[in-house]
Amino acid sequence: MRLVPRDEWRTVLAALHASGLVYLDLLTAVERDAGLEVVARVVRPGSAAAEVIVAALPADDLRIDSAVPVYPGAAWHERETAEMFGIEFTGHPDPRPLLLRTGLGAPPLRKGTVLAARVVQPWPGEFEPSRPDRAGSPSRRRARPLGVLDGWPDEGGRP
Amino acid sequence: MTVRGVIALIPDACTSCMLCVRECPTWCISLQAHPEQVVDEGARRPRTVNVLDAFAIDFGLCMYCGICVDVCPFDALEWAPDHDYGAATRAGLVQPMERLAAWLAPP
Ligand code: SF4
Ligand code: SF4
Repeated sequence: MRLVPRDEWRTVLAALHASGLVYLDLLTAVERDAGLEVVARVVRPGSAAAEVIVAALPADDLRIDSAVPVYPGAAWHERETAEMFGIEFTGHPDPRPLLLRTGLGAPPLRKGTVLAARVVQPWPGEFEPSRPDRAGSPSRRRARPLGVLDGWPDEGGRP
Repeated sequence: MTVRGVIALIPDACTSCMLCVRECPTWCISLQAHPEQVVDEGARRPRTVNVLDAFAIDFGLCMYCGICVDVCPFDALEWAPDHDYGAATRAGLVQPMERLAAWLAPP
């Protein structure tokens, strides 16, 4: 894995492509405490040669150059990464959302996004076999589903 | 090799511990149970056991991650090879305990 300054993202990709790693295997993002990381893996077809490069984006400026001019196959990966993580790939030729409807609000794969379905649907794990009649009773200590933030759903569950 | 066709339940092995229900990332397992007093011969006081009344997996939501199979401390959930459990309606994909138990591969 190689860390790359964000401003050199496309230059580094172009150099990798020129060295024979012409197949884009993966392009996605990972959320960290300080912001997001864009990850790409490129390989040389027919061999084991591969390289993984990572660029860090600060949380308040989620922009990076699109890889599409170098790897046209990055187009769908970037559209998906954009809608799921809220990253802007500058210079993307067709930045429509790939899977989601437009105007859906918060990007679903960000850790701070509470999925609406989780708020409206009762959690089956709340049932307590030893006291079946008391399931959901407010006096009971609430068993909380994994990954749901404190204060959910009463205070909106936002961090 | 594990055949990831469908998830089967061995009802007699399930203690209604709720672990699979609470760990399932898609919330697709539901369970109903009630406590019962069992008097063991020679015991000073009866002990309480949870009796399983209903158990269902919604295969319209299940993503076949296998977490439920892995977390069950009593090996009550198992991968089974069946695959033809399609349904014409969304509700038809919710498979009740009887169906989950019938999926177990014969020994
Ligand atoms: S396989 Fe995963 S999604 Fe399906 S019931 Fe088990 S834990 Fe839930
Ligand atoms: S984890 Fe196993 S024993 Fe516990 S409720 Fe689920 S199937 Fe039953």
